[in-house]
Order: sequence, then C-alpha cells, then structure tokens
Amino acid sequence: MEKISRREFLFASAAGAGALLVPGVLEIICPFTPALAKRPPEDIRGSVFTAGAPKELWKWSHEGFLYAKLDDKKVICGICPNACILSPGDRSVCRSRVNIDGKLYSLTYGNPCSVNVDPIEKKPLFHFLPKTSALSIAAAGCNFRCLNCQNWEISQVRPEDVRTSELFPPDVVRAAKKAGSASIAYTYSEPTTFFEYMIDTARLAKKEGIANLWISNGYINKEPLLELLSVLDAANVNLKSFSDEIYRKLNGGRLEPVLNTFRTMHERGVHFELTNLVIPG
Amino acid sequence: MKSPNEKAVHRVVIATGISSIVTQLYTIREFLTLFEGNEFIIALIIFNWLALGGTGTLLARLYSGKKPGIDQLAMITFLLAALSPFQIILIRYLRDIVFVHGSSVGFYPTFLYTLLTISPYALLIGFVLPLSLFVIRLENPGYSGATIYIIDNIGDLTGGALFSFALVYLVSPLKALLLANLVLIAAAFLLIRRGRLAMSVAVLCAVFALSVNVFGVFVEKKTLDAGEGELVHYEETRFGRLTVKKNNGEFTLFEDGVPVYISGNLMMAEEAVHYALCQVQSPKDILAVSSVAGIMEEIDKYRPDRIDYVELDPALSAAQFRFSLLKEIPGLRVIHQDARAYLDKTTDSYDAIIMNLPEPETFQVNRFYTDEFFAVAKKRLRPFGVMGFSLKGYDNYLGEPQRQKVSSLYNTAKRHFSNIVMLPGTKIFFLCTDGIINTDIPEALRQKGIKTGYISGYFAGDITKDRREYLAGSIDDATPVNTDTDPYMMQVMFAQWFAEHQTSPVWFFVCTGTVFALYFLVITREEFVLFSTGATVMGSEVLIIFIFQILFGYIYLKIGIIVSVFLAGLLPGAFLGRRLSGKTHKVLVLTDMVLVMIMALIVVILKIGGQVFPQMLFYCIAFGISLLCGFQFPVALSLRGGDNISAVRTFSADLVGAAFGAVIISSVLIPYLGIVQATLGLIVLKTASIMVVRGSHGKDQQAGVPVR
Repeated sequence: MEKISRREFLFASAAGAGALLVPGVLEIICPFTPALAKRPPEDIRGSVFTAGAPKELWKWSHEGFLYAKLDDKKVICGICPNACILSPGDRSVCRSRVNIDGKLYSLTYGNPCSVNVDPIEKKPLFHFLPKTSALSIAAAGCNFRCLNCQNWEISQVRPEDVRTSELFPPDVVRAAKKAGSASIAYTYSEPTTFFEYMIDTARLAKKEGIANLWISNGYINKEPLLELLSVLDAANVNLKSFSDEIYRKLNGGRLEPVLNTFRTMHERGVHFELTNLVIPG
Repeated sequence: MKSPNEKAVHRVVIATGISSIVTQLYTIREFLTLFEGNEFIIALIIFNWLALGGTGTLLARLYSGKKPGIDQLAMITFLLAALSPFQIILIRYLRDIVFVHGSSVGFYPTFLYTLLTISPYALLIGFVLPLSLFVIRLENPGYSGATIYIIDNIGDLTGGALFSFALVYLVSPLKALLLANLVLIAAAFLLIRRGRLAMSVAVLCAVFALSVNVFGVFVEKKTLDAGEGELVHYEETRFGRLTVKKNNGEFTLFEDGVPVYISGNLMMAEEAVHYALCQVQSPKDILAVSSVAGIMEEIDKYRPDRIDYVELDPALSAAQFRFSLLKEIPGLRVIHQDARAYLDKTTDSYDAIIMNLPEPETFQVNRFYTDEFFAVAKKRLRPFGVMGFSLKGYDNYLGEPQRQKVSSLYNTAKRHFSNIVMLPGTKIFFLCTDGIINTDIPEALRQKGIKTGYISGYFAGDITKDRREYLAGSIDDATPVNTDTDPYMMQVMFAQWFAEHQTSPVWFFVCTGTVFALYFLVITREEFVLFSTGATVMGSEVLIIFIFQILFGYIYLKIGIIVSVFLAGLLPGAFLGRRLSGKTHKVLVLTDMVLVMIMALIVVILKIGGQVFPQMLFYCIAFGISLLCGFQFPVALSLRGGDNISAVRTFSADLVGAAFGAVIISSVLIPYLGIVQATLGLIVLKTASIMVVRGSHGKDQQAGVPVR
C-alpha cells in the first residue's frame, strides 16, 4: 500500500477537520430560519377569462346592476373590488358576468344551483330570528379563490357547468312562504356575484315581510352594498384574516374592502355577525 | 481474472445500487407524505424517477468517446452519497416554500416539483452506471455490458431487501440513508485510492459526503416540524409515517401527512357510530374497520359484548391509545391485520360493521369499496345486521364527479343489500342492511336511552328530509359498479382530483406521448424489445401487487417478497442470457412469446378467480417475468453490438420503458379499463415487440438496425 507523506497527512487532516465543520456551517446557514423562509406575499387573485363568454345569452341572463361602458365596447364591472374590465366576449373573475356586445350581463338570474331550507343557526346567525328557518339559495360563482373553499364545486365553476333549477325572484319568495321560512339567505357560494338576482329577490321579500340574510365574504363595493343594505336585515360576513398577506395568498382578495364593508354595515345599523375560520395544523 | 480496478468499480456499482434503491424508496414515501399521494401521484413519481434515470444514462453517451478516469467516477459517487440525504431534506424544506402549508397541490405543480427536486440525483444515478462500464473498459475493452447490468442488479436487490426487511423496521429515513451511504462512501474511498488524486482530496470528499449524511440525521426531526403545534410523536412504520402534534391541548395524528385523527371531534365520532348502530335492536358483536377519534366511547354506550377493531398498522393503534384518541373499553379486541383478509378468513359474525376508511384513491383502499368486498362483508353480517361506511361529504351541492362516485358506490352496495340509506352529514354516510332503516336517528337513540352531544341537538337541522331526498335523487342508476378488477371509483376519484384543481392530464399525456413517439423513431429493434421489457417488468409488478392485495389482502412481508422476487429474477435471467452462446433475434422472439403466455395466464387466473390458486403461484409468475426480462437484456445488448454507445442506449431503453410501464398501467389502463385489459395492454406491447424483432429475421449479422 502506498505510504502517505507528511504534507499529505497534514493537508488531509486540515481538509477533514474543515469538512467536519460542514454540519455546523450548514446548520448556521441552513434555510430553516424564518428569515430565509419568508418570501414576498403571493397573490392568487383570478384573472378575467378572455373570450370566455358564451356565444349567446341564455334565459337566465340579466343586464348588470352597476357597470360603466369604456372605449371599444369594453365594460368595467362595479359590483366588487375586482373591477373586472371585460372586452366583448370576456368573462369576469367570478365567472358569472360577461360582456356581450358592449353590455355587462349576469348569467345567474333565476337559476340557483343550490336551494335548501336550513336552520338560521346554520348560516350561521345566532342572534337574529333564532330557531327559525331560512330558505337558502346560491348560484355559481365567487370573486375569491380560497384554497380551502368548502363549496368549490359551485364557487369555482361557471353557471353553465352546474345543475340548476329555475327559480325567479317571485318564485323564491313563494318558496320561502311555502316552507314557512322567516328569512331568505343568499349564501353558500358568493351572493355578491349574483347581485341582480339577490337584490330583486330581496326587494320582493321585504315587501312580503320576509327577512333578507346576506352570507358573504364582504368583498363588495360601497355603492352596491348601500343598495343592498336598504333591503337587508342581517348578515354574516366571513373575515378570513386580519392580514392582507393572507387575503392575497389564500383567498385571492384584499383585506381593506372587507373592513370597509364592516364599517358601512355598522354605520347603517344592520345586524351583522362575523365568522372567522380557524384551520389548525 | 478481474483487475483490482475492476473489483473496485464493481464494489461501487453494488453500493450505488443499494444506496439508490434505499434513496428511491424513501423519496417516494416522502412525496406521498407531502402531497397526500393518490395512485396517480405514485405513478407520476416513479415515472419521473425512471425517466430521469433513462435520460441520465443517455447523457453518458457524451462521455463514450472520452476516457473517464477512475477519479471522476469516485467524485461522482461521493456526490451521489451527499445528494441522497440532501434530496430528502430539500424535498421537505421546499414543500412549504413553494406551496402554501397544508394546501392540496395539483397535478402539474406536483409533476414539476417532483421532477425538479429529484433531477440532480436521478440524472446522476442514470449516468453513473454506464460511466462505470466505460471506466472498466479502459482497462478491459472486452468487458461485457451485461456484466455491469448483473452487478447493478445485485446492488438493487440488496438495497430493496435491506429496505423492506430491515431498515424500515429499525431506523428513520435519514438514518437509513446514512447507513446505506456509508457503504457507498467506503466503496468510493477505496476507488479513489486507486486513482491519481491525492489522499487529502479523498479524505476531504469522503468527509464531506459523510458530513451531509450526518447533518441529515441531526436535522431529521426538525425538518418534519412544519406548521403549528408541538410535535409530540414521530414514528416511521413499514406502512408509512405517523406524527402526532399537540396544539392547545388538542392532539392531531397525521398518517402520511394526512390528519386522520383529531381529539375532541365529537361530531365525527357520533356520526360514525350511531347512524349505523342505532339501527340494530341490540348490537352485541361489532366490527370496526379502522376508526375515528372517540368512537370507542360512543360504541360503549350500547354495552356490546365484543368489539373487534381491525387496524393494519400496530403502531397506529398504539399511538391512538397513547394519545387518548381511542379509549380502551370492555370487550375490545384489537386485530392487526388487513381487514379484507380478516373478513375473508374469520368465521365470526357481527351485528354491525362500521367502516372508517379514507377515500378510494389508491388500489389498496379501493378494495374496500368493491362488489367483491361487499359480498364478503355481507357474509359476516348477521341477518338484518347493518354495515355503515362513508365517503367525503359535500356542503350544499353534489358536484358531478362526486355524484358519480356516490352513484357507483350505491349501485355496488345495492347488489348485496335490499335497503340502503344515505345521510348527508359531515360525510355521506351509507347505511346498508336487509332490514329496516330508521332515518330519525335522534328518535332511535332516544328510544335506546343513548345520549349524544351533537346528534340530539343538530341532526334535525343538518340532515333535513329535503337534503336526504336531494342526495337520493342524485343517484344515477346507470353508473357502473365498482369491482376489484374494474375499479371505476378510482377513475372518478382521478376526475374529481383534476376538477378540484381545474386541470386535466391531457397535456401531460400529449407531451409524453409525443416524446415516446419520437423516441420510437430513433431506437433500434433491440432497444424496442428492452423498452417493452422494462415496461413489462414495471407494469406487471404493479399488476401482480394489485391482484395479490385483492386476493389475499395487504400483507406487508408478502408484498415485500413480491418486490424482491421481481428484482431477484433479473439476476439469474441476465446471467443465463450472458452465457447463452447463440444470441439471435429468435431467442428474443421466443422469450417474448413466453412472456405473452405468462400474461395470458394472469388473464386466465383472473377469469377463474385467483383465490383458488396458491400464493406461491404469484411469486412464481413474478419470478418468471423477471427472469425472462433479465434474460433478454444481455441478448439484446449483444445483438445491438455491445459497444459503449450501444450499452448506453440499451440501459436507457430499459429505464424509459419502465417509466412508460409505471404511468400507463397505474394511471391509465387499470383505472380506466380494468386489470384484465391492463394485462392485455402488456400482451399487446410484447406482441408489438415480437413483430418488430421478427422483422429482423435473417438480419442477425446486421445488428443494430434502426426501427425507422
């Protein structure tokens, strides 16, 4: 066997000792420290579906409540802070609003995909008309993209992708009366996206003495919110977090508009309760 | 006679085989834990690993004209030894950096993540085998490529056996890697001593590789500790990884990264137990297949004589009792066995069977939702006994894939039970019996004098008549039933997974299909034979394991034996192939024909009903397939020419074929066409191989004729 020289021995020893320090060095520079793990916040906000509108309008289309016309037949939706700018043939982030030939239409007017009679506590509202039932309706679509959505099968799809039933506003009110419900809840998906359907139903319900409940993420502009509050009796708004970063990273929205919604509801004296989902792990 | 260098390289090849197999198996476990793997994900990881290995092998072609020194091989080997634990740490660490903690990751992100994180190691593993061959051939130009293949198989077999029968029982992943890589580092060190590099460099490299491995052991627990809560228990069992976290006094038990038991979830426990048990007049003998936290207390309210609790993993039930997720109650008997195998063999009968299993996302779990399983379970139920099981629930709308899933399960159960009721609770609870089902659960409990916290107060509001009717009205009678051999539910599970992530695998299949098509255009006939052979070994391994599980249950040691037999058969096969004097295309055709016959035998066994055959037959089939595939390698290599480039291309064809076999059998043929058709798919592939080779008859002197 070849002998090792003194020089080689010294060099090898130094190299070996140096290498033995590797774990320590790695431990120090190891990226298990929060500082290195922290990255700039992502934003999972959805984008407009270019050329995503259906070729023709269907029976359940209704012109948008609040929008502005721009150049080249573009429109800007005024319902929520997403402020989708749609060219003809485009579909909004929430998937339920389209620009057809320079006009904004909602595709979910009178075609809910889910209709149930629930205890009001299930909304949840614990301090408003307790022990009564609420006729609950939802149409497809949402202006958020929450990674943990429990209703993704209706919130993250197009209205034409789900099985629906036909229930125009007068029918909803009749159904609520028939079920003996003291209220109608606009819920499950995101009712802000079917604003036109909700507001027309709420106006009729109000006249019939049936309470209106808005179960929402609170991501709505002030003008439509004020219009809604004029007929609204109670709301449960889901505050996802007090962190704008979380809103961007997990929900695809922003915190400030939601806080504004709480402020406005409080100023108008509307009964509201707040939900905050806690996910351990 | 072997030269000292040749011996040293052989040692490295064997050590690399051991280390690579151990690294591969732990890498797959790691991904399964981090991505809550379904069968598609499992196939995807194996595909990436093998495809990258094949690419690495092809890249060695760039080296074929050069003269790689023994030092270069040694340096790469040290690098491999360091990359092995580094890869595991990287995979764990980057998971929550790249993706949001706790979020479900879709198909393409998983594909890219697995591909990128394993690329350095997998490419290098593919690269190192032909490099070893080139190094030996520098001294011994006549050295056979088949020999290095045999030596590599010895390493693979040893690594596989070491993992399945020793390491997985004894140590944690990074400790296992340290042990496996110690052998590799030693082999590389002995190699470098034969080269020109100074001793100091050898020591430096060895210590560096060792340091990374030791570092891995030190940080192992820390790398597991992501998210909130205190990690109070960590255990690697032969079935997977168990961790328990404590957060504000609440314990959560994670099995392979999925939170399966959460203390204090009264709602889940009550629903799992009472919906089924309250239907039975006086449940005396109860079988619980797996569990949810807190069910024993609920079962105990019926004062049964006997509760048999079947749980596959002893470590899992031990952790449940230790952290009070389950309570010891009178009459409880814990049985550590595959529940299907247990039901097959037991002579006991029960008043109620309560199933608490995950969704049928893997072949292993799907066996508990099939026509055949319901038939077995029914036999163990007393007249008018009740069987209860559940599927993932929905809140307010039953999405299309979920509707198909529920419909399939309903139609399957309907073949065995005259009365089935579905309750849309936190999950969709199926109650199956030949007796009467009372859907007024609170009233039924009241009559039995059983008090509950959730059901008595909330059932009426949550599970209304309207909601029950909506669910019942959603059933599609035309949806196919789910059987062992045609696992329709898995197909729907895949569709649901893709729908949830709003994506489709079409682009993956289009792209990989195009790559394979281009690959077919440039490979030779012999390479095509080895491609189909690689696909057959991998595909038939998946098939045999699946069939074995269906017929005899999931028995860890026996599955380990099947995997080992698949590796073991390659060795004598390759040895015989190398020694065969008349290596002609006819030999390839003959062996392909025998492979086709073995596959046909599998079809016959499935048609007859496999239970009538002894388990040994399946080991023999596995060995036979493996033996023939191993035999073909040296024959094809010899026909291909045997030079460096030929060796690289044949090694690569084998690996790329195995990648193809893994993905096509697991994620396409079995779920979408069934086991019989999947086996027929392999027959078609091997028949194509026969036709391709038969085109070479009379051309044995012109080896290496391209397919094109």
